[in-house]
Amino acid sequence: MKRLIALALVLALCGCGRQEPGAKPITIGVTLLNLSNEFIVMLHQAMEAKAKELGVKLIVNDAQRSAERQVQQVESFIAQKVDAIILNPCEVEASSPAVDKALAAGIPIVNVNSETRTAPTAFVGSRDEESGRIAMDYLAKRLNGQGNIVMMHGFMGQAAQIKRDQGAREILAKQPVLKLLADQTAEWDRAKAMSLMENWIQSLGPKINAVFAQNDEMAMGALLALEQAKLKDKVIVAGVDAIADALQAVRAGRLDATVFQDARGQGSGAVEVAVKIIKKQPFEKQVFIPFQLVTKENVGQYLK
Amino acid sequence: MNSLKPWLTRFGLVIALVVIGAALAIAKPVFLTVPNLINVVRQISINGILAVGVTYVLLTGGVDLSLGSLVALTGVVAAGFAHPGEYPVFVPVLLGVLAGTACGAVNGVVVTKGRVAPFIVTLGMMTVARGLALVISGGRPVSNLSAEFNWIGNGPVPIIILLVVALVSWIFLANLKLGRYLYAVGGNENAARASGINVDAVKVFAYTVCGSLAGLAGVVLASRITTGQPNAGFGYELDAIAAVVIGGTSLSGGVGGVGGTILGALLMGVINNGLDLLNVSSYYQQIVKGIIIVGAVWLDRRKEKS
Repeated sequence: MKRLIALALVLALCGCGRQEPGAKPITIGVTLLNLSNEFIVMLHQAMEAKAKELGVKLIVNDAQRSAERQVQQVESFIAQKVDAIILNPCEVEASSPAVDKALAAGIPIVNVNSETRTAPTAFVGSRDEESGRIAMDYLAKRLNGQGNIVMMHGFMGQAAQIKRDQGAREILAKQPVLKLLADQTAEWDRAKAMSLMENWIQSLGPKINAVFAQNDEMAMGALLALEQAKLKDKVIVAGVDAIADALQAVRAGRLDATVFQDARGQGSGAVEVAVKIIKKQPFEKQVFIPFQLVTKENVGQYLK
Repeated sequence: MNSLKPWLTRFGLVIALVVIGAALAIAKPVFLTVPNLINVVRQISINGILAVGVTYVLLTGGVDLSLGSLVALTGVVAAGFAHPGEYPVFVPVLLGVLAGTACGAVNGVVVTKGRVAPFIVTLGMMTVARGLALVISGGRPVSNLSAEFNWIGNGPVPIIILLVVALVSWIFLANLKLGRYLYAVGGNENAARASGINVDAVKVFAYTVCGSLAGLAGVVLASRITTGQPNAGFGYELDAIAAVVIGGTSLSGGVGGVGGTILGALLMGVINNGLDLLNVSSYYQQIVKGIIIVGAVWLDRRKEKS
């Protein structure tokens, strides 16, 4: 207990010291959706790298998917008087109070990767509809505009699922002879996607020409099921996210395509914008980092 | 032959399975084909192995909520040793199972020696094991596994593993002394203690077996999806416990057995498979699933009373 008090005192003293002008480094509070998600881990690493480069200090908290925890973390950032906050929102609605509170306290807040209902000071991220559009467009081209597609959804009702679905359907609507044969959720999960694909192979079998999975985990599951059934050479599979496994599979010619979401671009972009705001330099209120289609032809540049 | 009883008293469950199967076969003839039925059994193999394991614990009147996290942890551990050209395939398998065994033993010891409610102990293990899985893997899936390792989760192998696990457990619980003790402890702990049974040892044994089988399930899953994923297995404990309870094992212990558990897992697998074959919308799937499960158990228990 004594040690704890001593530690608290030291921390408090450091805190006081930091508030004095002059020697004070820029401090940014960061709250992330979930550090057990590969994409968010990459986002985090990019932020740390950029922060080091710009000489700013990051306080990083993991909200572990809980919007409530995220709001508490932002409250504690406000209490610590950070110079800016970077929010990687858990939910559109439920994370909004975090933005409200930061703005009310006069602390600039930058949303990264996904949106909240309340508009933050700035936003850095990608348009998820675009990823659905790019993947479905690729499948449509590969099938010359005709054939049967099945689609695997993420968790129903999550922003990424809704938007990727929306983007995919925009392309489908323009392709009169391209048919969505079946669609079903596999909850972003590889094992569930594998079972779902096995069941589809039984019920739809040779009718399936292509699979669009709303993330790479599910694409890998579908791929494994198709390979087991020795059907992969007849079915085109595309996913989204460009996770390491999927990139390896694209390089090996197993997976046909994935869509690269630029974690590095988003993470370093968010830190950059936050620093610009703190230094009262001009900044863009919305920075959209584009998605990129990854196929065997260009996979080399993403494998590092 | 107490554990033969569940088979007989689970007659209602068999009827439910046959009725649902017949309905599916009419609506989708492909349901009754051999490849599809093999699919169903392979798809229940992981839940089945977990469910058999947690049957031991439920029989003693305990519960194990750490299963899903143990699947993730043991899968990550196994995958870490399963890269091509590093170790022979038995090393990752053994280490995965042993990791599960160790966690199960800890559960059992804390429940008995620490006198902490199983719900709390295994809830604690649920988060500790999940955390360990994340620490070991650095939050990223462990991939690039050898072909030999990936063989375990595919083709007929998971089915064979499930059958062996179920058969051994069935014989064990029905015929061996230690197996009978599990029922005695769950039925009436004080009476069991009075009759000279080492209740604590029996309970530690049950949690340890459960942990080992969770380790085995973790290995099969990692092999099936060709990666060890720290996020795998979310909610698997509930599916496993559901299969056991659907199969007639009492949540308060002492009654039930492996036969019913396998029937329960089978029923859940058939429903999942059938709803996918019929392409029922994702929203409705969950509603239909819940209604069929409750309905089947209701039918089963009505039979029991008469």
